Amino acid sequence: MTATATQEKLETLQNPDGGWPYNRGRSWTEPTVFALLALSCETAVSSEAANKAVRWLRTMQRADGGFAPRPGVEESTWVTALVLLLPPSLLARLNAAGALGWILSQTGRESSWLQRMRVAMLSGQVHRSGSEGWPWFPETAAWVAPTAFAILALREAQKRDPRHEIHERARSGQEFLMSRMCADGGWNHGSSKALGYDGPSYPETTGLALLALRDLKDARLDRSLERAARHLESCQSSEAASWLQLGLLAHGRGVLSSSSAKRSGVQQVALGTILEHALRGGGVFVS
Amino acid sequence: MAASSCSRRLAPARATVSILRQPVYDQTIYDTVRRLLAIHKLDVRGKRVVLKPNLVEFDSCTTINTHPMLVHAALEAFRELGATVRIAEGPGHRRITLDLADAAGYFHTIPSFEDLFTDLNLDEVAMVRLRRPASKLRKLYLPHTALGADLLVSMPKMKTHHWVGATLSMKNFFGLVPGGVYGWPKNVLHWAGIDESIADLHQVFPSTFAIVDGVDGMEGNGPIQGTPKHAGVLVAGRNLPAVDATCCRIMGIDPAKIGYLRLSAGSDAVAEARILQQGESVRSVRTDFQLLPEFQSLRWNES
Repeated sequence: MTATATQEKLETLQNPDGGWPYNRGRSWTEPTVFALLALSCETAVSSEAANKAVRWLRTMQRADGGFAPRPGVEESTWVTALVLLLPPSLLARLNAAGALGWILSQTGRESSWLQRMRVAMLSGQVHRSGSEGWPWFPETAAWVAPTAFAILALREAQKRDPRHEIHERARSGQEFLMSRMCADGGWNHGSSKALGYDGPSYPETTGLALLALRDLKDARLDRSLERAARHLESCQSSEAASWLQLGLLAHGRGVLSSSSAKRSGVQQVALGTILEHALRGGGVFVS
Repeated sequence: MAASSCSRRLAPARATVSILRQPVYDQTIYDTVRRLLAIHKLDVRGKRVVLKPNLVEFDSCTTINTHPMLVHAALEAFRELGATVRIAEGPGHRRITLDLADAAGYFHTIPSFEDLFTDLNLDEVAMVRLRRPASKLRKLYLPHTALGADLLVSMPKMKTHHWVGATLSMKNFFGLVPGGVYGWPKNVLHWAGIDESIADLHQVFPSTFAIVDGVDGMEGNGPIQGTPKHAGVLVAGRNLPAVDATCCRIMGIDPAKIGYLRLSAGSDAVAEARILQQGESVRSVRTDFQLLPEFQSLRWNES
């Protein structure tokens, strides 16, 4: 899809309020950010569509600095990390410092001292304190996808803010991801074992985790990259294939071309555009 | 005489639960589902019916998801009764719902599936305040498609569950909770108490029906990593705790030991004497599902 075609397609799917739906209906924060990221690949960040979208995003930012996933939800959630991936020119029109502060304040509930003490007393297992991920929703446990997005957000923030705290949280998040690697080398939603049984990895989360681990030097990732390549060979989902290819590209592994989108929701169009851009050497996630 | 008559008036009505044999997934399942609905005399003409199957993950080696042919049979049967029918689900682990449904055979089996389907994880939501919740939750965001249904039909797979013992029509309502708000998995329910959250969700949706896919279920380390178990039945009814209690007995599980059934209905309410069984008897189709060592105490010992 050409740059103009992408822009036109996304503008067709944009809601009158400026946001984007997942497929149809009201606007949500996640597809709105992905649409903006896709438009930014095509240097369309100053378009009217992008301006309207940023104005809509401003209404989603809450007093605590975080972002709600959609209108009517009274809590900030993981989507705050996605917003921090926007280009600086767009981010400057939002309270980026507040969003970063909110992300830094969040951790998986299992990481709290109270929960660690409880687990230690009940199971006799002491979890290491150096590994902290992020939850989807406040006051719940950390999982793979929100942790990966938070790491990517912190890596972007580090380019503008050299605070050690930011580096340290990203490193801790990476340690969390490594601790949740499935036995097959990939990642699933974040439960690599259930009652002692190994859980299989998923293609989409494997690609996403690899993106978030792009600067980590760890021999265990060789197996993950092999797993990602095998997932890609059999992957039937265009969205999952895009994540896998982005993850492989981030680690310098060549992929031939982007898959043709099977469905045409905002996420698929946006992710396909981001991947095509990455294959041409640019990149929202891989640079 | 007066006392006896009074006792009869006070005795709560028995919940009707039907069990029909369905040995395999073939064309006969369409007639079996029609017969199930006829037993329960559902009046759905002009009503909005939402079928809620159980889609979790896809693994061709096992039986995780509700079989698409059963969902199609229900779709056809409710349409014949004059209802407007949608299929809706919000999987708890995988985000790309349509691809999951595709892999599970829904696109292949159900014509125009994508037009009929709502991904509950990404549906419009409304905040619902819970009245006297059993869990730590005080409110839940829930999808319009489910809240607006005149009849919400839970269509789970008959499976053991490594946290709550058995996952049936009530636990299947976890898929109503929107991942777009709470994430994948919907971990807020776990922290609020799984049994308690199941009971709370049951309270939110008063107009329900259940059709349980017990043709091929799952035993052992369910709901995902267990092994297929053939039971050869479909189980249905309006009263979800009664349906689940009946399924438990078919699986050789004592329903009185299932936490969410105790919370929702109390042990007495799911006692055999309080359920009017139609079709096959529990004993004629009982097929003990293998239980993990941690759950051996759930085994139903008929007295």
